[in-house]
Amino acid sequence: MATQHSRAAARFMIAPSVVLLLAWMLIPLGMTIYFSFLRYNLLMPGANPFVGWENYSYFLTDPAFQTAIVNTLLLVGGVLVITIAGGIALAVLLDQPMWGTGIVRIMVISPFFVMPTVSALVWKNMFMNPVNGLFAYLADVIGVQPYDFLTQAPLASIIGIVSWQWLPFATLILLTAMQSLDSEQLEAAEMDGASAWSRFYHIKLPHLARAITVVVLIQTIFLLSIFAEILVTTNGGPGTASTNLTYLVYAESLLRFDVGTGSAGGVVAIILANIVAIFLMRMIGKNLDA
Amino acid sequence: MGRITLEKVRKSFGETQVIPPLDLTIEDGEFVVFVGPSGCGKSTLLRLIAGLEDVSGGEIRIDGRPATDLPPAKRGLAMVFQSYALYPHMTVRKNIAFPLKMAGMSEDEKKSRVERAADVLNLTDFLDRRPGQLSGGQRQRVAIGRAIVREPAAFLFDEPLSNLDAALRVGMRLEISELHERLKTTMIYVTHDQVEAMTMADKIVVLRKGNIEQVGSPLDLYRNPRNRFVAEFIGSPKMNIVEGAEAGRHDAHAIGIRPEHIDVGEGPWEGKVGVSEHLGSDTFFHVHETGLADVLTVRAPGEVNHRAGDKIRLSPQLDKLHRFDRDGLRIT
Repeated sequence: MATQHSRAAARFMIAPSVVLLLAWMLIPLGMTIYFSFLRYNLLMPGANPFVGWENYSYFLTDPAFQTAIVNTLLLVGGVLVITIAGGIALAVLLDQPMWGTGIVRIMVISPFFVMPTVSALVWKNMFMNPVNGLFAYLADVIGVQPYDFLTQAPLASIIGIVSWQWLPFATLILLTAMQSLDSEQLEAAEMDGASAWSRFYHIKLPHLARAITVVVLIQTIFLLSIFAEILVTTNGGPGTASTNLTYLVYAESLLRFDVGTGSAGGVVAIILANIVAIFLMRMIGKNLDA
Repeated sequence: MGRITLEKVRKSFGETQVIPPLDLTIEDGEFVVFVGPSGCGKSTLLRLIAGLEDVSGGEIRIDGRPATDLPPAKRGLAMVFQSYALYPHMTVRKNIAFPLKMAGMSEDEKKSRVERAADVLNLTDFLDRRPGQLSGGQRQRVAIGRAIVREPAAFLFDEPLSNLDAALRVGMRLEISELHERLKTTMIYVTHDQVEAMTMADKIVVLRKGNIEQVGSPLDLYRNPRNRFVAEFIGSPKMNIVEGAEAGRHDAHAIGIRPEHIDVGEGPWEGKVGVSEHLGSDTFFHVHETGLADVLTVRAPGEVNHRAGDKIRLSPQLDKLHRFDRDGLRIT
């Protein structure tokens, strides 16, 4: 099949889509890098002079930057821990034969279908609102002071909301992995005298290792750029308590109208995301081999 | 010790009864083979003994102690699965040591037992590999290794050779028989292959639709099948069955004669040769137009040449003839 000739033809034919995709990625990236070296503020129209690294030094020395880095990592890490632990627990439960499995599965998966803005608004107004929210009502019932989640623990609340959204994804991937486990292996372990916990720890968990890796990699990519949930709930506040890197870039370019610094932040975010990706691939990517 | 008795053991899945009440005794040290066509309940019966399925009624005793309600691990039995069921993320060493680890055995004891098992099964060089890096036969041996380290009262084999190619199967068959010679432990072996049953068993249990059709030694089953089902199932190629007038001459509803008990040359029967299978040591002829049955299979020792379409005469060895009545039972 793959003769010299047919391979050349194949390359020639995929060239247009490759060129298109490259342009699709390279032009925005090039423009972001270009803007990051300009003094480009929408409030000061006129010339946009080249300023070298000024935008970068401005962005990196901003006190909000460090907070944003820490918040980003806490957000990603917190959601990963909750969704993986919860996902494994739910996968184990849903793997059991029981009545109404189909309906329960659909219900477990449904949060994934809700748009991020909508789910954040629902959580903000119907659950976490200190006056009208369900949690405030429950606090009222048992006679304690309602807790103002988004003011007193803004980052933790956002972690909670985002975890709720991503738990179905983790559950789905882990459940399918669980179902691919050969039942004879579990029976063999049972004959070998393994208790239910040992079977989980020695057989099921190692079997899930690859699926867990997939969940961690995919979720990290999406969680690094969480934005909508922050925008509609806390606006990054109070202060910068729930500002992550994405939100900081947004604040620079669209709240302070400083496109130059915003672009510099964007470039910094790309670099940091790549560093995280390299670390992740080093740490857990080996699970994907073989 | 491993004497296993089943008393009135029953199994139904919902409405369908898979195993009607059944009694069976397996003596200590015996190599028992459950054989039957697929869907005859032989694997279910093995899983009932293992404890992987709950009985619907009746009692299982292991060494005289009631084991019906014991969980699988407490019965002191070890099982080798059709898919080997090795743990893919563990090395061979860890796979074999797993039951010992679960039993909370000390490191030293574990190490020595694993090495002894590896020695017996020629696995010493592979102890640090993973199952994925082994061939089918080696995986099979690891599965057996995982069973023998526990020093169980009995081994249960669930069609362990069906995933191997033909040459390897013959080799492993021999290895399992030798293992039984050495360990003298009770073994229960499930297969649908009557050749495996004949070559390995001390005692064969022939099952059909959950019922035990006959229990006996291989040659006993070969010489004295209780009914037509056993007669046709045991022996390869299959026994020829002749109904009608020829059977009537022997006062039977049907007569059975094995291919190896028909002589080619002179004789009362005549037919036309169809396909011949030359095995070197033997030649099998499919003979048509005999007026007795659609086709008769005949074995001639050595190399005998008859071309398709040749007319040959056949004579059955009358003392090896089996007679069956209308219900398929053998007339003695």
